[in-house]
Amino acid sequence: MARVAIQLPQLLGAMCGDRLRFDIDAATVADAFDRLRREHPQLALHLFDESGALRRHVLCFVNEVNSRWLDALDEPLVDGAELMFMQAVTGG
Amino acid sequence: MPVVLVVGTAKGGFVCRSDDRLNWDIEGPFLKGWGVTAAARGPAGDWLVGTTSFVYGAAIHRSDDLREFAQAKQGPAYSEDSGVKLEQIWKIVTHGKRAYAGVAQAGLFVSDDNGDTWQPVNGLNQHPTRAGWMPGAGGLCCHAILFDPKNPLRMWVGISAVGVFRSDDGGKTWQPKNAGVKCILEDKDHKDIGFCVHGLVADPADANRIYRQDHSGMYRSSDGGDTWTRNETGLSSRFGFPIAIDPHTKALFVAPLESDEFRLPVNGQLQIFRSTDNGDSWHALFDGLPQKHAYGAVMRGALGVDGMDPCGVYFGTTAGEIFASHDRGESWHALPCRLPRVHSVTVLAE
Repeated sequence: MARVAIQLPQLLGAMCGDRLRFDIDAATVADAFDRLRREHPQLALHLFDESGALRRHVLCFVNEVNSRWLDALDEPLVDGAELMFMQAVTGG
Repeated sequence: MPVVLVVGTAKGGFVCRSDDRLNWDIEGPFLKGWGVTAAARGPAGDWLVGTTSFVYGAAIHRSDDLREFAQAKQGPAYSEDSGVKLEQIWKIVTHGKRAYAGVAQAGLFVSDDNGDTWQPVNGLNQHPTRAGWMPGAGGLCCHAILFDPKNPLRMWVGISAVGVFRSDDGGKTWQPKNAGVKCILEDKDHKDIGFCVHGLVADPADANRIYRQDHSGMYRSSDGGDTWTRNETGLSSRFGFPIAIDPHTKALFVAPLESDEFRLPVNGQLQIFRSTDNGDSWHALFDGLPQKHAYGAVMRGALGVDGMDPCGVYFGTTAGEIFASHDRGESWHALPCRLPRVHSVTVLAE
């Protein structure tokens, strides 16, 4: 189990006590997503859709690597890892 | 008596307060950056506010003062296996100790704990005609909710582009109620859907008398929605979105737009139409409203009345303007602001 930092965009910080950054314990990326759904359901509502997948226009960077580029979400996390969420909308 | 307008826009909410309905203090934006799509006083007296985001989805928030907000513990949500997604909170209505939320994709949710947790009204959300429900230009949305003050088991909803449904058993079962209304998009299997209601109000003293701004025109029912007849005499256009009713005089207010193809104020003239004879005839109100090059439209949640004597009337436009009348629409003034696109105007006389 690793201590992992969650970094949020400003719009979502207001949804969870104005915190833009906080730590959770997670073994893998999938585990981190699962913990967010269980421990922060009001935040998770805005990150994940009804199927449990990341919303179409939400990006999650795992130590600066797009989570959608990972071979699998069961990649182990180490202490100090960062999951940074941001919106994927660009331009107009 | 002070009046409060809670204005929902594409980029946040704004609060407009006035003691005399002529001079206004404006606060905001609250929930900055979020689309604010609906607001209402909840059963506990606090505010329930609906938000949406193209990226982050929709939610309901509670607030005592419209400054600090807490997201509902368990907001409206569809199950994973429903195949339906929550896209927007279109309408929040309090009825006794319950709160109801009409949403897109079309559905109805109810809360029995002051808006903290919400449950689906499956009799409507899983209606036998659901497979044939088609979205309108604004999406597939449940945007109107009416109640019968004399019969707690009886209620109505309006869904675009499906039609009006009525429940006579407290929401367990629902029947389409659109006889007499022009069908917009006929379904192969279900001939009682495919109607595009835009706005819906009931006479507060007689819930059987319902007024309907529909995609296809203006209609009235005198039998609780069983049958509908057109009442469009005097309107500049039969097309439009909102409809409001003064609970005391029963005066009706609508905001016609040029056709479903153009959806703009007719001839660039911003006008509200009023009927004081139950919809038999309509007359334009425009003193103080721009009558040249005015192309901001009034969306379905953006027209409201305050129920005072004389009745105050308020509306917002897609151009971000807010207009107010303190005299039943006889004269108008613009509030000193230019906001993002206005989705909703909720009026409260405190």
